[in-house]
Amino acid sequence: MIARFRERFELRHDRARALKRQGTKIIGCFYGLAPKELVHAAGMVPVQLVEDRDARYEAKSGLLPFLCGMSKNLAGQIAANVLDYVDGVMVSTVCDTNRHMLDIWVHQRAFPNQWLVRAPAKDDEGAINYFTNELRRLAGELGAVSGTPVTDDGLRKSIALFNENRALLRRFYDARPTAGLSAEDAVYVFASALTSPVEEHNALMRELLASLPPGAPGSDPKLMLSALNIPMAVDVIRMAEKYGATVVTDDFTHNARYGSTAVPADGDPFRALARGYLRTVPAPGLYSFEDRAARIRDAMERAGARGLIYLIQLYCDAYALEYAILKERFDRWKLPHLRLEAEATPSSIEQLNVRVQSFVESLV
Amino acid sequence: MAEPDLKSIQKKVSAGASYRKIVAAAEAGAPICVASAGIPNEVMHAMGVCPIYPESLAAISAGIGKAGEFFDESRAHGLSNIICSYTRCGLGICWASKTAFGSIPRPNIAITDVNICCLHLTWWAYLEDHFTLPTFYMDMPATTDPGAPEYIDYYETQIREMVAFVERTTSCRLDMDRLHQSVRSSDLAGYYWKQMMALRRHRPSPMSFRALAGQILPLVTALGDQDAADFYEALYHQYLADAKEGKTPAQGGETYRLIWDGIPIWHHLQVINAFEEKGANFVWEPYTSLNWGNKTSTGRLDLDRPFHTLAEKYTNVWNNKPIAKRFEYFDQAIREYEVDGLVMFSNRSCRPMSIGQHELVQLITERHDLPVLIFEGDQADPEGFSWADARTRVDGFIEVLEGRKQRGRQR
Ligand code: SF4
Ligand code: SF4
Repeated sequence: MIARFRERFELRHDRARALKRQGTKIIGCFYGLAPKELVHAAGMVPVQLVEDRDARYEAKSGLLPFLCGMSKNLAGQIAANVLDYVDGVMVSTVCDTNRHMLDIWVHQRAFPNQWLVRAPAKDDEGAINYFTNELRRLAGELGAVSGTPVTDDGLRKSIALFNENRALLRRFYDARPTAGLSAEDAVYVFASALTSPVEEHNALMRELLASLPPGAPGSDPKLMLSALNIPMAVDVIRMAEKYGATVVTDDFTHNARYGSTAVPADGDPFRALARGYLRTVPAPGLYSFEDRAARIRDAMERAGARGLIYLIQLYCDAYALEYAILKERFDRWKLPHLRLEAEATPSSIEQLNVRVQSFVESLV
Repeated sequence: MAEPDLKSIQKKVSAGASYRKIVAAAEAGAPICVASAGIPNEVMHAMGVCPIYPESLAAISAGIGKAGEFFDESRAHGLSNIICSYTRCGLGICWASKTAFGSIPRPNIAITDVNICCLHLTWWAYLEDHFTLPTFYMDMPATTDPGAPEYIDYYETQIREMVAFVERTTSCRLDMDRLHQSVRSSDLAGYYWKQMMALRRHRPSPMSFRALAGQILPLVTALGDQDAADFYEALYHQYLADAKEGKTPAQGGETYRLIWDGIPIWHHLQVINAFEEKGANFVWEPYTSLNWGNKTSTGRLDLDRPFHTLAEKYTNVWNNKPIAKRFEYFDQAIREYEVDGLVMFSNRSCRPMSIGQHELVQLITERHDLPVLIFEGDQADPEGFSWADARTRVDGFIEVLEGRKQRGRQR
């Protein structure tokens, strides 16, 4: 069962192409702040753009050397035509790099359609009104591309489906620390949510939760991993396990954003979506640091994790700055943590070995 | 009315003077505000709030070679070197509570834009969090259409809310007469700045980019202050006289006219002189011509609608323009300023300014047969910068320009 999540993630390009052959339009979301419910309500499938495990893409990217591996990897995928099935891209700002990648994609005509989500940084009435109008504008444009206008009812249904997915993921994360499931497999349960049609993922999740086997507790020390780059995270999990630790829970920044609180289900669905996204989805500066740090600490407590590995992609200034802010709290709470900064290349990851080993040993 | 005397007015708006004003304001009980560079200073000035600009202080510290201790401070706080050097140095200044000129008073409030770059949002959130400072965010969603009326209207509400925030957190109140006066002074400063930029079309251009990099300071820190307006008026007249006399910073006469793209390299401003020594002069930069001054459609501030005109001005952000639009500005400048070559500063600190530069160069070189020199580095952190390499690259570029000029003469 569990292998099906991994397969869905690893074969995401093939599966998206198959959907496209059946006439479904695919919209790439960059990243977790893009309102996928809107894409779904327009009759299209939102897929999050994620890194491929192929460091050669970075060399193909043609991007500036000081940009993050994530942006270079995506640019390389575009150059290699890996994303040829994408009918449009929706960018919602998390950092300067992801926001300005859109400028390059527009210039290159990399995708047939592209949208920048003009999201406020606040969540007061004025911001919600502004964003509600913005979501209506986007809905109109998405509907024009798909031929399926976004209706209030349609959007309500989409919100309900994505809320169900969030709730299922939350249940999964609650069950995960005591389930008989490897940390690596658990990554794909979440990662496949980013790249699969939501109905399909919900069905898989329901099946998984009904059959999740209990497992023997893993070896100590138990860890939480906070990361963004999925292939890198898998490498670090393997590394930590090699030194005897168990990664009992994770905090993917996609996951923290995507799997965050439910979108309200009442009233005008566009307004509900606006309320559901503004300052509710963890992203640097767009979410309370107190809440972000507390959520990490609480998730660690629930999972019995003693230490945190905070993995940053080299040149990711957004999360590097977030780390410095969270660190003040982690230090105050005496929460053992290790910041790792690396590129997604085998040699760069390899260099993390010593630090991971000594962190694990310090917790034994 | 007699024109203001440049030398005496310059003293009033210098970096040192602006530091002394902060100290004096704090002693007089005025609230001190940690402000980012993209917010309406005119309103703060009218309300009697005294701003401290960490970015500007970071640039000054780098310019006089005194940023090192602030970078050390930020490293000690866990800030990675990949974070913008303004942010690292600016936070270092806040932690150390001092600038290159001396200690700074404890701030009372903080106000930032959220859109010039995303770091402004996170950086100020850090200040709010770490120093428990009441902080206001001038919301301005990312956009590719900054001139849209509803976009400007939304920002106008932000300015009004900023006033309410200042009134809520300090004893300052907005007096509309003072706001009108402040906008009027700002308009004049911006107007004379634009006039100065236009003078650079003159052959030879009388201005040095290095001098302008310093002279821009009051546009960042003192808009609304009549001294700033007086300064730019006097400066304009000085440059006008210089233009009439055919003065130029380019040694041996202005042989090449260049564009600089990006923030100046504050820690090695002598790079600019290296060009000037070889007869090359910078005549246009988006940084000077488009980032500062009256960025409204008319080029003036509408004194009858102060909030709206400020909203139009402050939402006009270069980084929000698509590459095709940025190209139009370059294309126009290349023709109007009769440009011979471009120097692009690929700045590892400032992603918003650097991303898209490569594509911009493609568009420019498709239309204009111009040589392009790309410098890689950082605007405030000298780490990894080699002056010897920089000189070699400048010399090489000048040789390219010279070769092209000679071929042009032979044709
Ligand atoms: S959040 Fe970090 S990794 Fe993602 S695009 Fe931005 S800089 Fe790159
Ligand atoms: S990233 Fe650019 S805009 Fe932002 S603080 Fe640094 S230099 Fe300024």
